Amino acid sequence: MSALTWGAVAVVVLLTLLALRVHIAVAMFATGLMGYVWVAGGAPLLASLKTMAYARYSNYDLSVVPLFLLMGQFATHGGLSRALFRAGHALVGHWRGGMAMGAVGACAGFGAICGSSLATAATMGQVALPELREHGYSERFATAVLAAGGTLGILIPPSVPLVIYAILAEQNIAKLFIAAFIPGLLATLGYVLVIAIVARISPSDAPAVGAQPWRQRLKALGETWPVLLIFLVVIGGIYGGVFTPTEAAAIGAVATGLVAWRNGGLDRRSLVQCLLGTAGATGMIFLILLGSDMLNVFFALVQLPTELAHTITQSGFSPLGVLLVMLLIYLVLGCIMDSLSMILLTIPIFFPIVMGVDLWGLGADDKAIWFGVLALMVVEIGLITPPVGLNVFIISSMAKQASMRQTFRYVLPFLASDVLRIALVMMVPSIALVALRVF
Amino acid sequence: MQTQTLTSQSVAPSARAGSATNRFLAALCCALAVAGGVLLVAMALMSVASIVGRWLFAAPIIGDYELIEIMCAMATSMTLPYAHFIGAHVIVDFFSSRFTARASLRLDGLASALLAAVAALVAWQMAQGLHELRLSHDASLMLNLPTWVGYVPMVASFALLAVVAAYRAVVPTPAQPT
Repeated sequence: MSALTWGAVAVVVLLTLLALRVHIAVAMFATGLMGYVWVAGGAPLLASLKTMAYARYSNYDLSVVPLFLLMGQFATHGGLSRALFRAGHALVGHWRGGMAMGAVGACAGFGAICGSSLATAATMGQVALPELREHGYSERFATAVLAAGGTLGILIPPSVPLVIYAILAEQNIAKLFIAAFIPGLLATLGYVLVIAIVARISPSDAPAVGAQPWRQRLKALGETWPVLLIFLVVIGGIYGGVFTPTEAAAIGAVATGLVAWRNGGLDRRSLVQCLLGTAGATGMIFLILLGSDMLNVFFALVQLPTELAHTITQSGFSPLGVLLVMLLIYLVLGCIMDSLSMILLTIPIFFPIVMGVDLWGLGADDKAIWFGVLALMVVEIGLITPPVGLNVFIISSMAKQASMRQTFRYVLPFLASDVLRIALVMMVPSIALVALRVF
Repeated sequence: MQTQTLTSQSVAPSARAGSATNRFLAALCCALAVAGGVLLVAMALMSVASIVGRWLFAAPIIGDYELIEIMCAMATSMTLPYAHFIGAHVIVDFFSSRFTARASLRLDGLASALLAAVAALVAWQMAQGLHELRLSHDASLMLNLPTWVGYVPMVASFALLAVVAAYRAVVPTPAQPT
């Protein structure tokens, strides 16, 4: 059988297993395993299993992932989300829709010390939703704002999916983080604009609240210094090449833990909670990593990535069309899968294709970085699209009246801003790449 | 997709409920996960100490990268059984949303059985690998740390994952509402 036939069979088997509610990690593992045994026999498979898991789990670059997760847990328990939201409230709360803008800003700020969207949405939701409600914001709008704002968690570095992409595509984590920064700011700006527009069209959803005196505003802003400091040390340290990403994450985790402890948010019970929360998220990611390793060992065995890339580059399809198809696949997959599984499943296949076609005449390194940021933005859309937008799910579970349906309706303008931004970064790669030239 | 563990309130929901077996497994998974978390914290502290040493005294901890690698392998694998116990390993429930609850539950049982088989296979082969590494005296570059040491908690973790998944195959729990 040719590589492409193997690939097609693998996709069918994988989808069947997924439809039968097999865990994504196990479905990938089982598909890869069956294919491998079929092609190469059982003995080499057993031999490779002796070292596969250790080789993956002891990967130095990958150790940044549990550390970022730990840091996010400490940040969640450290009261930092509250400080951020209060600062946003104090600064711009008196504008039309200002408190919602403040909440988005706080999400962006929290995203700067937390690499997960779900954690960002959940944490900010707990803090901001009651206050938004109290100040007369409609719940359906508030939940949509927070669900969308939560996606800033992975877009603004640090970002766990971007780390995974960096490892799969063998790219520099620091460069990817730099490249994601401006698109992250653009996303924040886009959401703020959406809020401004909605607040004007439908003032009852987003009323203005009383302004606070400047002294109070500065005080509230001052309370957020730990976030700024941690972000500067962690991300600045990575950018500046002072630390490896793992070292920076270690510093960030320790610093965030100290802040949480100082704020009284870290007694023995909540420390155990932090550790278990980290464990749950780590276990989820690392099992999928093992599954995707097995699948990719099989794909490499039948040379699927190279064959597919070769076929597509020789086919004469327009490179931009190829890119669009990939992004569409992400949109569809995003409706049924989480972002990490999507990245792990697709990047080994998509990346060689992207590298094989000519896109805007970009050099190999630039193209790899740019595609990473683009893919990240597209997969995060899945967090707020029906039927299973996880962010919407989490936030509306905290809501009292707004149904998921209503939230999804109010998420639409935010989705439009996402699509616009993705199109922009797709057509103008320098939005992502310019920061690499400056730093 | 199942979501309950991704938020911060993720202490095993069923830790205090159910049969003695359930409680025993819950305690075991939690203990292993907390130990993994403590190992992570230790790893972070060690890394910070090494950076401080490098900056202030030009004396980093020797072999800090190796230590991180081996600690990371141990800590991450130790979280696997807990993650399964609380239902954190993600599934795609898009296609099965029209299935009856009973059918879904039965499929979840089968999925857990498959996970148990995979985990048992990995544990078994890693145990073989451990044995071979002990014979070959494979060790790390700087610290001369035997590689098989990192395998020990990994074999145990995959074995426990197999046990927990096998238990879940027999006694599936419906997904808890978040």
